[in-house]
Amino acid sequence: MKTVFIVKLKPLLDAVAGDMDLYTPKKAEQHYVYKRYDPSADTDVEFNNIRACTPIKEFLFPLRELAAIFPEPVEPEQIKPFAVFGVKNCDLRSIEVLDKVFLEAEFEDPYYVARRDKMFIISADCFDPGESCFCNVLDGRPWPESGFDLNVCQAGDGFIIEIGSNKGNDFVQNHNELFSEVPQGALAERDRIRELTQKQLEQNNAELKFDMPIRDVMNATYDSYVYDEEAKTCVECQACTRVCPTCHCFYLYDTKQEDYFSKMKMWDSCMRMAYAQVAGGANPRKILGDRLRHRLMHKFVYFLDRYGLQMCIGCGRCVDAEAGDVDIREVLKKLNKELRDSKEAKVTK
Amino acid sequence: MKPSLYQPINGEIVEIIDESPTIKSFVVVPEKQVTFSTGQFVELTLPGEGEAPFTPSSSPAQADKMEITIMKAGRVTALLHECNKGQKVGIRGPFGNGYPVDDFVGKEVYIVGGGVGLAPIRSLFLTLVDRIKDFKSVVCRYGARTPKDFIYKKTLFGRWQKIDGVNIKLTVDEANGEWKDNVGVVTTILEPGDVDIKNAVAVVCGPPIMMKFVTLKLLEFGFAAKDIYLSMEKNMSCGVGKCGHCMIGKYYVCKDGPVFTYEQIKDYPNIWD
Repeated sequence: MKTVFIVKLKPLLDAVAGDMDLYTPKKAEQHYVYKRYDPSADTDVEFNNIRACTPIKEFLFPLRELAAIFPEPVEPEQIKPFAVFGVKNCDLRSIEVLDKVFLEAEFEDPYYVARRDKMFIISADCFDPGESCFCNVLDGRPWPESGFDLNVCQAGDGFIIEIGSNKGNDFVQNHNELFSEVPQGALAERDRIRELTQKQLEQNNAELKFDMPIRDVMNATYDSYVYDEEAKTCVECQACTRVCPTCHCFYLYDTKQEDYFSKMKMWDSCMRMAYAQVAGGANPRKILGDRLRHRLMHKFVYFLDRYGLQMCIGCGRCVDAEAGDVDIREVLKKLNKELRDSKEAKVTK
Repeated sequence: MKPSLYQPINGEIVEIIDESPTIKSFVVVPEKQVTFSTGQFVELTLPGEGEAPFTPSSSPAQADKMEITIMKAGRVTALLHECNKGQKVGIRGPFGNGYPVDDFVGKEVYIVGGGVGLAPIRSLFLTLVDRIKDFKSVVCRYGARTPKDFIYKKTLFGRWQKIDGVNIKLTVDEANGEWKDNVGVVTTILEPGDVDIKNAVAVVCGPPIMMKFVTLKLLEFGFAAKDIYLSMEKNMSCGVGKCGHCMIGKYYVCKDGPVFTYEQIKDYPNIWD
């Protein structure tokens, strides 16, 4: 992959912000959240060690958006190009998941397509992963390998910029004066940092190991008591699904304006009691434990079976956001243990 | 930009038929023809209020208008029941997979329905009747709570019963003085000899509890799970397999259904809830 070098981040971000709206992660208490970058006010550029708390889906599939206007359809407002900086590999993998849903051939969502097309992605390596990060367990790495326009990682006395797309290449060409050649030894240093970060993740998640692929563990323990047990501490705040970058349930509703009607699309949560309820009152997932199971089965089994990739990318946002005490890693661990215990019990018999 | 996935086609209610105290049929004329296959569903929007999924009860062969039979069950359906002729509506769809009618050719089609579940079945029935010689027979067993709760009364008690190759039996949960037929839930009029099970398919549609017990009865008769077709009522919303509300296990009822064989869904819990 083609690489260039830059000593400071600010000139890079200023150049991007000169071309289009740019969003960067800013520290808010212990987490990062995305804010609009202002070149004159933002004198210090923060280089986020891990993913922001804001799920990247917000940029592609906003919390609330217009889905249709009728009786006379209206051409939706044109989406302007925008850029997001500090996107981590888990975020990129979450976009891969959303692409499967919203770019599906026959059922392409034109709003998503437009945003996806206009999004300029400046990703960045992770360093010093968080306590809740477990991407390594789900085949993820703490650095991006594809799916970005530019990728930034710290090495030497500056930053290596990898060019991942034609859009990224055009940007570098157009702002040629900002970049220099990658200094000798910087790539080796980058690789060393990457390896260290990977090791740190492996250490953090040493106990999160499975006897079989997670899909098979979950299928084998479908009837487990673990879901009801774990759900006991869930307060149904739905924060897990809000911050999850791959959760994409939504709610369509109708509104009345002065001279037109509209359909709106808003994030919804499968953890919500009435989520699957029909008008007559029937509800296949009345019980919280059933909803938790459905959510995790969707993540690790159903989505994988349908689209060929897991819907959980191990970003750990749900763990951070949890108001109760449900920890997806613990649920998986307990399911694996239950499976192991049942096998051992069979052997002893 | 392509038109929105969620853009409704404008339409108008041109006729309203009172079917029972809680059920009305709405004849809707869409501005643009909506071509559906029997068993598929549409989302009907009451502008500004909301939308709900319904399987048209008319034959797909009738292309210029569709009939939608609606039971007053929730907020949107209650508002629809208050509408008059001329009401503007929106239609999205059709969505999903309907009944695989071509697979039924040469077989006996055993249709069991209850209550408003007759709506999708009427569309199927009309489709089958149009080419009745393609099927060995069409055997229908319908139940309603009381005689006045039957829908499509005129044709159900009259013309349909006289079609060659069609055999219809009816039952009510509670009779009144004039009712001469069977009294009891619909499973009480199902007999193992109704059809030749080895060369038959069953189609079931009705309230969840009825579907459950009919399915169990059919299995008991020896029907294979793959030969029992169920039209599933779930909370279909987007219609295109994204919003997630209608999921049964791995299936999106809106996209993979709403017609499923029992074989496909039998291993998931609470499918009847």
